[in-house]
Amino acid sequence: MDYQELFPVPVEWLEEADVSMASTVAGWADAEVMAGRLEHHEDYDTLLFPAMRKLFCDIGLQSALYPDELGGGGLDNPTAALTLAAVLEQVGRADTGIAFLLANWYALTSVIAIGPDRNKTLLKGSAEAVCGPNVMLASLVLPAYGTDAEGEGFYGLPYQATAKKDGDSWVLSATEARPQCAGSNATFFAVAASVDGMPALFLVPAQAASVKAGEPFKKAGLAASVNAEVSLENVKLPAAHLLLAGEERFRGVLAWYYEMCSAVCSGALLASYEILKEWGDTRVIKGKGQVFKENPLVASLMGEIGAKTGLARLLTYNVARMISQPGTYGPAGGGPVFATATAVFRHVARTAMEAMDSTMELMGSAGYATEWNLERYWRDVKTLETYVVPETVAQTDMARHYFGLKKL
Amino acid sequence: MRTIDDFTRPIEYIAPVDKYLGDIVRKWAEREVMPYRREYDEDWESHRLIEPAFRSLMGELGFQRMLFPEDLGGWGFGHSGSTATIACRAFEEIARADSGIAVAFGVLFWPLVMICSEPHVNRRLCEEFAPMFCDTSDPKFAANAMTEPQGGADIENMEIVGGSTIQTTAVLDGDEWVINGHKLWPTNSGGVADLFGVVATTDPGSRDLDDFAFIFVPADTPGCTQGGPYQKAGMAADKNGDIWFDNCRVPAWYRACGPGLDAMYFKEVISMGNMGSTAFACGVMLNVYEILKDFCSTRTYRGKPLKENDDVAGVLADFARDTDIIRVIAYQYARMLDRPDLYGERWSDEIVSKGRAYKYFACDRAVEDLKKAMNIMGAHGSDRLWDVEKHWRDVKIVQLWMGGKQLCQMEVARWFYDCETL
Repeated sequence: MDYQELFPVPVEWLEEADVSMASTVAGWADAEVMAGRLEHHEDYDTLLFPAMRKLFCDIGLQSALYPDELGGGGLDNPTAALTLAAVLEQVGRADTGIAFLLANWYALTSVIAIGPDRNKTLLKGSAEAVCGPNVMLASLVLPAYGTDAEGEGFYGLPYQATAKKDGDSWVLSATEARPQCAGSNATFFAVAASVDGMPALFLVPAQAASVKAGEPFKKAGLAASVNAEVSLENVKLPAAHLLLAGEERFRGVLAWYYEMCSAVCSGALLASYEILKEWGDTRVIKGKGQVFKENPLVASLMGEIGAKTGLARLLTYNVARMISQPGTYGPAGGGPVFATATAVFRHVARTAMEAMDSTMELMGSAGYATEWNLERYWRDVKTLETYVVPETVAQTDMARHYFGLKKL
Repeated sequence: MRTIDDFTRPIEYIAPVDKYLGDIVRKWAEREVMPYRREYDEDWESHRLIEPAFRSLMGELGFQRMLFPEDLGGWGFGHSGSTATIACRAFEEIARADSGIAVAFGVLFWPLVMICSEPHVNRRLCEEFAPMFCDTSDPKFAANAMTEPQGGADIENMEIVGGSTIQTTAVLDGDEWVINGHKLWPTNSGGVADLFGVVATTDPGSRDLDDFAFIFVPADTPGCTQGGPYQKAGMAADKNGDIWFDNCRVPAWYRACGPGLDAMYFKEVISMGNMGSTAFACGVMLNVYEILKDFCSTRTYRGKPLKENDDVAGVLADFARDTDIIRVIAYQYARMLDRPDLYGERWSDEIVSKGRAYKYFACDRAVEDLKKAMNIMGAHGSDRLWDVEKHWRDVKIVQLWMGGKQLCQMEVARWFYDCETL
């Protein structure tokens, strides 16, 4: 029995095309990434780049949300949330960092391509490149936590950029802003700033002359993302580059982002499960004959790990379903869906860490040896947990919805 | 202004030379390690950056001589009555900077405990090996070659398997031991160690503890080969690899203590390892406290320093609480090891099991607290720049070594609940 049967999801929510696409990506994961993990050494510039290009361009994940008529995958409606959950889970199973890059990409392109507010100007202008043969990356630049910056903020978090209207254009400025990913090599940034006291999101092409990236910095995991601070020196943008304005739409982007990052964690959990399964089936302890998994203490931990993996998967698909059905659950940025997406991401990321911590404990030194691959997922998921939304910010966001906070 | 020195230690327990040695090690760590540690991960194989720190501490400052008797060029701590409390302070200070360096340094003494520590000093072996460590200013390492590919921590699980799973054999041939076997993962392997303490059996499959042998094998003994280091999640300063013993011949008197006694005193090695691990966790917590204090005093949320937000302050309080408790436990256990007249022999089941309990308590708390510290710092928690993620990766490894949590749990349950079959 494979993990798809072991950890079931509500399959009636998935279209045949979703299952087929996830299956294609699973094939890519097995052949292009997982088979050569030890040789790749997290070398995304050279050894892993062909696999990324195949996924992004040949398989077409990069243009998945763009309309058919523009050469994209045609997933330009909210049901894409379920497709992306199934796909990102498979990418995350292969490589959490690549999946995280895609989650940022989809956070941006979902704003451009999905729903009644889709940005037709940007769609038309970017389709040729997005549907073309070159890998493109995007990164959110969100209100910042843990800076020494002051100024206008979004619930206590200062915006990292300022936006000023200049005729029909916008002028954006930022000093050493910290993106979510790919600060060094993103094609686009989706930069948050305040417009009339409300959060807004702007599309900033990274090749603009006045966009400067700093030195890449090292971090615990997510090596696929070469991150660096970026500065915007009065970057002038056409009106169409204002992607959205208003709290609900802004939170809608975050809800999609959190849901997709839950799927990435879920995929990492599946990979972790596969590694432990092999270990538990073959390892012998306490002398000859006692298979590792048949030890009651080991089994008790394995039970918890399995339960956490299954529930993380189930919750991820449930919140994807909620986002995919705005007519039933309300908009993605509405209170219930946003709070649930936040809660599910926090829960999935935390329990993924717990499950991987336990897995590592069961595997001993093999758990932290690069050779067995687990430690990389463990580093990646912890990095993801700290990157996507700071714990205290998420807690306050959830309390604001569940308990009606007025001041925080 | 509070500092790490405000965390509690049982003052009446600490060694007379504690302040003197502690100050030396702290200055060394702040000068030789902390400015460079962010580059250590990439240095895991060559140790080009790491080696000078070892050279300074162990060779030039002479800390590798600590256990040997004074008349052999050592510092005589093996019979000082303060061996563990001195070691605890040194380990804490080194781990504050880098727990990989701390374990490589600590494991240097691990096999030497078998021959340098009262009441089972093996004078002849001390005389044999003292020059290797005391007559040089080059860093010299020793290693305990215990773990084997097929059984992991089984070798440490003496009560249940009684040495029966050991595959490495020692056969007496005239006045020499002939050793054959394959060891995996010892700290200071991977081409580092000059001397191995090898756990072997004189009768494969036997549960008779007389057949458990602890035999010294110099790394340059013909037939002894080491593989390169394995890459791992952290602890770049600690090299781990394979060691093969292929008809290695050493004198019969290289056996540490003899039939029955090797197995008995080997449990003292386990106790010292658990004390060291607890001290490493403590050192990590102390440094992360410093980092958190800096970060949360200078970075803002809701328009004020992070530490002035009471949801953040609650997490910081938990961190300080656990740091204080872990530090008290580390020194308490070190004191227990230094005073067998009050607490029982270092190799007794009681002391071994309590060491396991303290080690896994300290490591569990440290791992969880560091995860929370990273969360409090947001994305900065995962940045190499702040060093917390490094400590998190390292202390996770401390938690897992020496049989990991499950072996600790079994030994604790076995002693406190009189379990007979676990």
